[in-house]
Amino acid sequence: MRIGTAKQTYAADEALFDTNVQRAWMGLFIALCVAFPFMASEYWLYMACLVAIHVISVTGLNIVTGFTGLVSLGQAAFMGVGAYAVAYAETKLGTPALLNLLAAGLLTAAVGALVGIPSLRVKGLYLAIATIASSIILHFIFANWDSVTNGVKGVSVPPARIFGVELGRPFALYFLILPLAFLSVLGAANLFRTRIGRAFIAIRDRDISAEVLGIPLLRYKLMSFALASFYAGVAGGLWAYFFRVVTPESFPFVYSIFFLAAIIVGGMGSILGSILGAVFMTMVPEVLKIGVGVASPLLSDAVAVLSPVRTIVFGILIIGFLVFEPHGLAEIWSRIRRFFHLWPFKT
Amino acid sequence: MTLTRRSALALALAAGTALAAPAALAADDIVIAGSIPLTGVFAFAGVGVHAGIQDYVKIANDAGGIEGRKITYVAEDTAYKVDQSVAVFNKLTGANKVHLYYGDSTGFAKTINPELNRRGSILMAGASFATELNDPKAYPNQFMAGPDYTEMFGILLQHIAKVKPGAKVAFVNSDTEFGRDPIAPSEAMAKKLGLDVVVKIVTPPTAVDVSTEILKLRRADPDFTIFHGYVLAPLPEFMTQAKQLGLKTKFMGTFWSMDNSLWPKVGDAADGYMGVMPYRYYFDTEGKSSMLEKIRAMRPEYQSTPYMQGFLTAMLFVESARRTVKAGKELNGANLKAALNSIENFDTGGIIGTPITIKGNSIPVGRVYRFDAAKKSMVAESDWIQLGK
Repeated sequence: MRIGTAKQTYAADEALFDTNVQRAWMGLFIALCVAFPFMASEYWLYMACLVAIHVISVTGLNIVTGFTGLVSLGQAAFMGVGAYAVAYAETKLGTPALLNLLAAGLLTAAVGALVGIPSLRVKGLYLAIATIASSIILHFIFANWDSVTNGVKGVSVPPARIFGVELGRPFALYFLILPLAFLSVLGAANLFRTRIGRAFIAIRDRDISAEVLGIPLLRYKLMSFALASFYAGVAGGLWAYFFRVVTPESFPFVYSIFFLAAIIVGGMGSILGSILGAVFMTMVPEVLKIGVGVASPLLSDAVAVLSPVRTIVFGILIIGFLVFEPHGLAEIWSRIRRFFHLWPFKT
Repeated sequence: MTLTRRSALALALAAGTALAAPAALAADDIVIAGSIPLTGVFAFAGVGVHAGIQDYVKIANDAGGIEGRKITYVAEDTAYKVDQSVAVFNKLTGANKVHLYYGDSTGFAKTINPELNRRGSILMAGASFATELNDPKAYPNQFMAGPDYTEMFGILLQHIAKVKPGAKVAFVNSDTEFGRDPIAPSEAMAKKLGLDVVVKIVTPPTAVDVSTEILKLRRADPDFTIFHGYVLAPLPEFMTQAKQLGLKTKFMGTFWSMDNSLWPKVGDAADGYMGVMPYRYYFDTEGKSSMLEKIRAMRPEYQSTPYMQGFLTAMLFVESARRTVKAGKELNGANLKAALNSIENFDTGGIIGTPITIKGNSIPVGRVYRFDAAKKSMVAESDWIQLGK
């Protein structure tokens, strides 16, 4: 129990940020995010946009897998649906970018709900296999529905335009991608303060008990899949605007594994875990590359010699986190916070 | 003075920072940068390409660089992932004034194309021989150091039409963008050459069990079977089963399945396997080849076909830059490309066994080599074939 945080109302008890210190930190973080594009190089802006896209998708996967307990290995294919939806809308219909992103989210949500139907009968590994099968079907559609997806050659997407401003470079796209990532995370955090979110958690903890409590499993399981897919669709749409080429090979199966690894490393059933997991999985390989750069003056042709070592180190780091911190990075973060909450009374 | 833990840490940090600072490049260096797949599924090629570019850059610098200007090569690993390749592109072009770039995949080449066109300062080549990239209008700042995949098929089909007019041909490709690339145009070309495409078989990229496909081949009974979209698997399986069934078809492949180190392990089943090679092998000794001799002197052990690809790409980069600098023009994408397209009857020092001319985005030249299991090596089966001549 922290000092000075006595709650007077239920609303205060449920608030996302319950102390002024938290609000101040959040304000500082937002200010830093706004200032970031004006200070960072093209490379760091590119990485920031990529991390933000991954945060959206990982948050979506955490809703269905971390909070509802339904293992999905179709997140990359769902992103593909969103990306193709944006590519089609942008090239064939010429509709505005924000509308395209919304449409991509809604279409993917519909596809996700469809794919989620087996979740009513199967759970765990069986459901994982069912979602793999769905993603294979989706990949087949991407590669063969020539009139919409242009087959294996894929679709080139023109840059997004919002209010006449062309968002071609990471600098401009940052101002589209980051607010959407903020909104997505905020939406997910709020979701678990509502009946729907609580129902998801009840289903995860024991679905039969949840049904006894009056939660219709059919509706809520499909809703969870649809929500997760909506996030994937928006992330995929942003991906299409970011990379500007969508092909069937853009969203391979290993990309789904990447997202699953992100929620496991970050923390299943934790919004903060989604963010930390996405940052970890995207940035650690890059940080390790900087390590290779440091070794360059010491070792001739360090790039060639150390690159394989780098991938091994990345793998060991993931295993290390799973062994020593099974609750993910979010738990480490909580521990650090607890330390400061109790400081200086207990260290 | 005692060294406390804190001061030792500060010292280590300072030393680390000093070492981390990249070796300073001179302002007028000509910079070749690369998104190179040193890990991941394409690492076997990336390692070779990386060494090939390094070696040619060293040879060119030892010969005085370009009009006295040094050539620098900077590269980073991409793990053969498009998002990482783009990250590397942004990183390297942010830290250096890059003039020439090596990309690692078709996906990357297509993704980065709008950015290349927007910048207009870089000429790019890479590991992709995709037919789609062989379009100077859509890809004005790119080229490939060899024939595109359709041209590779064209070279094989021309060879077949010459050795066995009216032959029956089968196409086997993986169900990927890479695999499907040359199939439709090559079918039309086969028809033009009077060849009969009797069956087209598509397999998953990682196919292991090919028994049903072998039965299709048996029914169609082609004289030649051309594979595309694979590196090695499932070619050995096809060859072994075909041999067991007594099929007389001759197997053929394209560039990425032509490395000499792949086939001795397959053994007798691979005997007679043929394929198109745009470059000569490391061990080729026929005729005069000054560059191959230099390579053999620098690296006494066998160098792969991707090495040759990287080496020739670097050679063409340097030649384009040299011509641009000599003409007193600015080193930008358009000028470098124009210089590249001015290359006519150019001697590659034996890397390609015939003088080359680059009119568009590709070099439509190649030669058919055949694997000789007894010698455990590739031997020339045809002369150099230049398409369009």
